[in-house]
Amino acid sequence: MLITLPAVAWGQEREAPSLTLKDLRGRTLRLSDYRGKVILLNFWATWCPPCGAEIPDLIKLQKEYGRQGLQVLGVTYPPERQARVLRFTQRLKVNYPVALGTREAKALFSSDETLPLTIIIDRDGKLRDTISGILLPVEFEEKIRPLLMSPNPKGETKHVQKN
Amino acid sequence: MFRRISGFAAALTLAVMLATASAFATTKTVTIRVSGMKCGNCSSSVAKALKATAGVKDVEVSSAKGEALITYDDEKVNEARLREVINGTGFKAEE
Repeated sequence: MLITLPAVAWGQEREAPSLTLKDLRGRTLRLSDYRGKVILLNFWATWCPPCGAEIPDLIKLQKEYGRQGLQVLGVTYPPERQARVLRFTQRLKVNYPVALGTREAKALFSSDETLPLTIIIDRDGKLRDTISGILLPVEFEEKIRPLLMSPNPKGETKHVQKN
Repeated sequence: MFRRISGFAAALTLAVMLATASAFATTKTVTIRVSGMKCGNCSSSVAKALKATAGVKDVEVSSAKGEALITYDDEKVNEARLREVINGTGFKAEE
């Protein structure tokens, strides 16, 4: 009896899709530029109350774990206006890059309709997990902190963009 | 001998009754009105945050009704704390 295994077997995480967007200042933001870091790709919207409630926690995580290789990347979910997003992020003092996203950009990573939605990508650029809804401290401890313990396979990241 | 067995059975029955009463006495259910749950795809954070709260046994959140039905152990968590958790998700627990 022949059993056909799926292309992605257990323990073999899928490579993160290529993603190129514009940040709030019109600069190009490429997901691949952050290879070597543990990425939290956070899909959010200004009109989503839990998304706004989660942002201070993400700011704190970026501040506390950035030196260990954590990189939060915010990607908005439509409908959004750039000026509104800019005001929103400035008011909250967001300390990580934020790009204007599309429905298609989110669909590349997950079919989950929930917002906020955070995709965890490891230092090798592999998709490791999806956090549906607000990221809870226990989820950080279980799913993200262990990835930060792993060494950077390529040494320093090739590019770090700051907002 | 019979008297000794009867005494033991009575004590055992009393212990079971007390334990059962205690278990039921600590479980409460409350319905909290939650305003602002207009986006169906973002209200799931309310249920998620409540379920992760120590002492919460069951949660049903309806964005259509704008309410959360919560069953909890009132020795471990109280209604005020549940309201704080809801408010922490960006929505507002109404008084």
